[in-house]
Amino acid sequence: MGRKSKYENTISKQYGELMAYCKGHMEQMDKTLPEPVEDFQTLLQERGISRRSFIKWTSLMTTALMLPPIFRPMVAKAAENFSRLPVVWLHFAECTGCSEALLRSSYPNVDDILLDTISLEYHETLMAAAGYQAEQNLEKAINDFNGKFICVIEGALPQGLDGKYLTLGPKGKTGVEVAKEVTSKAAAVICIGSCSSFGNVQAAKPNPTDSAGIGDVLGITTVNIAGCPPNSANFTGTLLHFLMFGALPPLDSLGRPTWAYGKRIHDFCERRPHYDAGEYVEEWGDGGAMKSWCLYKVGCKGPYTFANCSKVRFNDGVSWPVMGGHGCMGCTEPGFWDTMAPLEKPIADTTIGGGEKTVDKIGAVLTAVTVAGVAAHAGLSAIKHRGQNKE
Amino acid sequence: METIVPKKEWSVAIRLNHWSTVVAIFILIATGFYIAAPFTVNAGETVNKFLMGDVRFWHIFFGVLLVFAFLWRVYLAFFSRFHADWKDFFAWTDKKNFIKQIKFYLLISKERPDHNYLYGPLQSLAYAGLLFLLFLIVLTGLILLGAGYHAGWTSLVYTLVKPFENLMGGLAVVRWIHHILTWCFILFIVVHVYMAFWYDAVLQEGTISSMISGKVFRKNHSK
Ligand code: HEM
Ligand code: HEM
Ligand code: SF4
Repeated sequence: MGRKSKYENTISKQYGELMAYCKGHMEQMDKTLPEPVEDFQTLLQERGISRRSFIKWTSLMTTALMLPPIFRPMVAKAAENFSRLPVVWLHFAECTGCSEALLRSSYPNVDDILLDTISLEYHETLMAAAGYQAEQNLEKAINDFNGKFICVIEGALPQGLDGKYLTLGPKGKTGVEVAKEVTSKAAAVICIGSCSSFGNVQAAKPNPTDSAGIGDVLGITTVNIAGCPPNSANFTGTLLHFLMFGALPPLDSLGRPTWAYGKRIHDFCERRPHYDAGEYVEEWGDGGAMKSWCLYKVGCKGPYTFANCSKVRFNDGVSWPVMGGHGCMGCTEPGFWDTMAPLEKPIADTTIGGGEKTVDKIGAVLTAVTVAGVAAHAGLSAIKHRGQNKE
Repeated sequence: METIVPKKEWSVAIRLNHWSTVVAIFILIATGFYIAAPFTVNAGETVNKFLMGDVRFWHIFFGVLLVFAFLWRVYLAFFSRFHADWKDFFAWTDKKNFIKQIKFYLLISKERPDHNYLYGPLQSLAYAGLLFLLFLIVLTGLILLGAGYHAGWTSLVYTLVKPFENLMGGLAVVRWIHHILTWCFILFIVVHVYMAFWYDAVLQEGTISSMISGKVFRKNHSK
């Protein structure tokens, strides 16, 4: 013991280099970014967040981002710089639920306050301007911060009728036009929520407006903070990563940051021991439900859903859907309205062609027909080939 | 004079491969249906129970066995030292024999089509289709497996099969396809086992025992 292994040496060397890079980048940022509007520490005090809570939060966020503890001060510094990152927030076909979920909470935690301080150069729901004035604000923002701002998008893009299912502003531009214009000048595009990421309910079958996610419509790479709504930590964490390293975090094949969407709900669910034990809630409110057994048989889609809800939880870590007693609906997956249906039954109970026909019913009928057919063939063969072997 | 001549039809490798596939598939169907629609174990304390855990263990154990059995079968089709039979999977290309075979099966004619290949024309289609089914269930199985285990070979294989997961539309769809394929196997087994018995009874060449002993018994009409 005592001596460091080769592995440990490599690791500490790699993290040393990463740290040096991070420091260099943040100094560079310090020079180029606009001055902070408010001092973050005073703001936290005003909102009743103690220094201790803030330090605790930095530890949590550092681990969540899969960084070693030495990065805690950097996370704290990035949080202080948060309000200096210019953000343009666009709304397309959506319900504003993501904004609501992120900006409203009864006991705001550090993530929520960070989002309150974010330097929103343009946010259709929050800004006072309207009409031509709003239009001017947007143009000014994207020109002033050309190539530097982060474009956050909430909502899917309808492509039907030449995009005219969604027109915005006094000039009646289509969503697709606005999206093209703004994203082409952004440093990075972050899709918040499943609508902008994958189309969500607007794109569910039969999808009359031909809606789809931003990445699919524009053919660009976007960071997809999927969820309906997503967890605020997944968004702030991604922005913190951008502030610290000047680059977006590693993404999975669907554009979701792997630090948040790398594993399934089912892999970290607190009801998982009941799944493995064979203890399931059979119907709502039964004995198993009272004992917090696994919700698999009442349609939990946790086994098919990549997200960190079971670890991070919602509302300051108070609870999350499965803890609340309803199965996961799979809202971070593309096309979940169609692929996860029926939401309160297991996958195999999906019906085919309407009505009651499930795979198991169709399979059982086909098997019965085949057995009957084979038996009939056997009978006929006995007649046809009778006596042939007595030559 | 009529003599009965034993002819070696199947190598040891093919026979071993066939029966390990059979055992694996039967266990996979049983454990798979439990995973799809588990019953609740009410008695006892949670800490002492691990039914789903065990069932999943055996499903994955025989699943991985089936993966290797499948790869081995494909290897044998090309490189078997006894008889590499990949060409025989194209027996259905012989149109004339194809018609004859259908007539024979539908009991319209008693004339047995010549066996120019190891398999009959319909048999070749069925087995080629079956190897394809095996490929699909192995692929979907490996996706479902990789999604839950994040280390070692499993995660390595998962990076290879992940694009297929996205192509199919996510894990939920993969799971559903896996379930549909299970029924395809059940249907296949009914017909396949029946046909084995049928051939055995009609041709009297020992088709069933051939998969065990490796030999069929051909009647030789000496002139
Ligand atoms: C003939 C072969 C097989 C049959 C009949 C079969 C059947 C099934 C069935 C019916 C399910 C449940 C699906 C549902 O929930 O609706 C299942 C799940 C699964 N199968 Fe298979 N399977 C086969 C081969 C394989 C193979 C080759 C693998 C992998 C190497 C595999 C891995 C899995 C996994 C990982 C699950 C999900 C279990 C879980 O995550 O809890 N299966 N299988
Ligand atoms: C009465 C028992 C059975 C007999 C006599 C029998 C015989 C045969 C024969 C002669 C072949 C062609 C040989 C070959 O291509 O390797 C074959 C192929 C096959 N059999 Fe069977 N079989 C029996 C039962 C089963 C059962 C119960 C299953 C499935 C659970 C099964 C699965 C397969 C598969 C997957 C193939 C095609 C793949 C391959 O070519 O290896 N068999 N069987
Ligand atoms: S409740 Fe859902 S996520 Fe949790 S163990 Fe059961 S199936 Fe998995």
